[in-house]
Amino acid sequence: MPGADKEIDLSERIESFLSELKRCGSGAGSLRGSAETARETTALLRKITAQARWGNAGELMEIIRKEGRRMTAAQPSETTVGNMVRRVLKIIREEYARSRGSSEETDQQESLHKLLTSGGSSEDNFRQHFAHLKANVIEAINELLTELEGTTDNISMQALEHIHSNEVIMTIGRSRTVEAFLKDAARKRKFHVIVAECAPFCQGHEMATSLCKEDIETTVIPDAAIFAVMSRVNKVIIGTQTVLANGGLRAVNGTHTLALAAKHHSTPLIVCAPMFKLSPQFPNEEDTFHKFVSPHEVLPFTEGEILSKVNAHCPVFDYVPPELITLFISNIGGNAPSYIYRLMSELYHPEDHEL
Amino acid sequence: MEEAELVEYFRAQIREDPDVASAVAAIQSLLEFLKRDQSETILGLRENMTKAIHRLEETDSSVAVSSGGELFLRFISLTSLEHPDLSQCRNVMIERGELFLKKISLSRGKVGKLCHTFIKDGAKILTHSSSRVVLKVLENAAADNKRFTVYVTESQPDSAGELMAQKLRKLNIPVTVVLDAAVGYIMEKVDLVIVGAEGVVESGGVINKIGTYQMAVCSKAHNKPFYVVAESFKFVRLYPLNQQDVPDRFKYKADILKSVKDLNQEHPMIDYTPPSLITLLFTDLGVLTPSAVSDELIKLYL
Repeated sequence: MPGADKEIDLSERIESFLSELKRCGSGAGSLRGSAETARETTALLRKITAQARWGNAGELMEIIRKEGRRMTAAQPSETTVGNMVRRVLKIIREEYARSRGSSEETDQQESLHKLLTSGGSSEDNFRQHFAHLKANVIEAINELLTELEGTTDNISMQALEHIHSNEVIMTIGRSRTVEAFLKDAARKRKFHVIVAECAPFCQGHEMATSLCKEDIETTVIPDAAIFAVMSRVNKVIIGTQTVLANGGLRAVNGTHTLALAAKHHSTPLIVCAPMFKLSPQFPNEEDTFHKFVSPHEVLPFTEGEILSKVNAHCPVFDYVPPELITLFISNIGGNAPSYIYRLMSELYHPEDHEL
Repeated sequence: MEEAELVEYFRAQIREDPDVASAVAAIQSLLEFLKRDQSETILGLRENMTKAIHRLEETDSSVAVSSGGELFLRFISLTSLEHPDLSQCRNVMIERGELFLKKISLSRGKVGKLCHTFIKDGAKILTHSSSRVVLKVLENAAADNKRFTVYVTESQPDSAGELMAQKLRKLNIPVTVVLDAAVGYIMEKVDLVIVGAEGVVESGGVINKIGTYQMAVCSKAHNKPFYVVAESFKFVRLYPLNQQDVPDRFKYKADILKSVKDLNQEHPMIDYTPPSLITLLFTDLGVLTPSAVSDELIKLYL
């Protein structure tokens, strides 16, 4: 039966996505960039919306939430998956509200105003059936996908405003967003880039090679030299894995050191992060925050004698508090870290913070 | 309803349920006043209401009562805008008022649920004076089987800290009472600081029992997170730039304001903590950064 086939196909797609997530997490860094993960997650959610069996918005949200929980459990450190699930949930809520004809889109958030003026039950359990809901939701998800495709370009377009001629820019590790940002500025301006290599995976080397191809003067330095070189730097531009709800960052290890050195020299720290990296998590949740990989990059297994006597760790991420950050550049423009709460309230519904 | 009756009703509310927030009791009394009010016009109603609020503020000069009163006044204005006819308006007001009251009595529970995840196992917490919201948060964390110890400041002149310590002991939470002057000494041992608030001001700062500002400055110096837990009805439309800007009617008790000539000889009961020292605010509207507070107030009052 074609219906059953579609369902098997759908669950196969989900399973293969989950196993890919689990696998790529154990490698060094991410084998695929966050943008691709976001795109694949959204495409998968669109497929679920199109093919799964649901009668009203409430059921669809339950299905998506369930799949979302499985996906985030497969790879907790890959927060873009959870973020996309929450975006889609918000889309469903909005489309439902629009179908009902109520202009309550802005009333989604809890606020003092809402407390005072709401009369009667505001309990909305999304049980009404609308014929066009499916088509509307799928169209909205398509818009989301278009937005995702344009994020890197939108960010790079802002490069000329921030990078001036003869500046010395410092960055760390390899971020595709920052790479595109710098390459776009290099078309019209001449500047120097210093890349911290970001041991032990040394992604900084690949970044430097790639920048050199565009004729940008690049220097690679070891992480220990960050503070020493900082006095000569005009700006620090970095990418990040996640932007947290308080405006802090979860970025590649070594970023906190870079941020502290920049603060000490009063050098502006600019973070290039597309909106899909914004996550409603706070930095206290210990179990999902840190990720450690095999320490053989730090202390190779060949050093057998020492191994039994010491503990070697290889953390992947660092937390950077919001006070050290000057500006966030995202596909919707530049924002201060204290404004992140506002962007979050526009992207996600508070009830979806916990999937 | 006479003003004396109103005050008596307010006092009765607090007597019956000592755990109720004073703002909730104030709003309840004002709702009762509204029900018994005899005015013929909305303007008359507003005038009576304003007088009633002033009378309540004279009884209990805390910031919370003032913010609760202003919120209620705003509630009346918003409702009267939608229904210009008085009798219909009054019915709608009473219905919404009951609903509002029900919602805000649940606020403390919501804050408790939100905050207790920030308390890790083995944490050492420092708190100031006696706050029912902080107690609820710690109660929730203890119910979650988390192990933590609490340090409470004595909080003179009324030794409210001792009261807090007794309540915590009843919950089987290990607690130590420290001198107010020992905050700097104890700060290196603690992991986080949680305090309540009597009022949250527009800038995102808080007004709380005297000694809170000191604690905030110390925690900033030691890089410890400073969390404030408060319900949303404590948001007040003040914007103090320093300690002097906080109005005298909040700083001193109502009877002292009336009887004493030279306020310089009196000790203030509250102080103002600026938003730069606060890490996060936990409210029933969610976890907010101090910059988000003014947004909430604008949404309400604009």
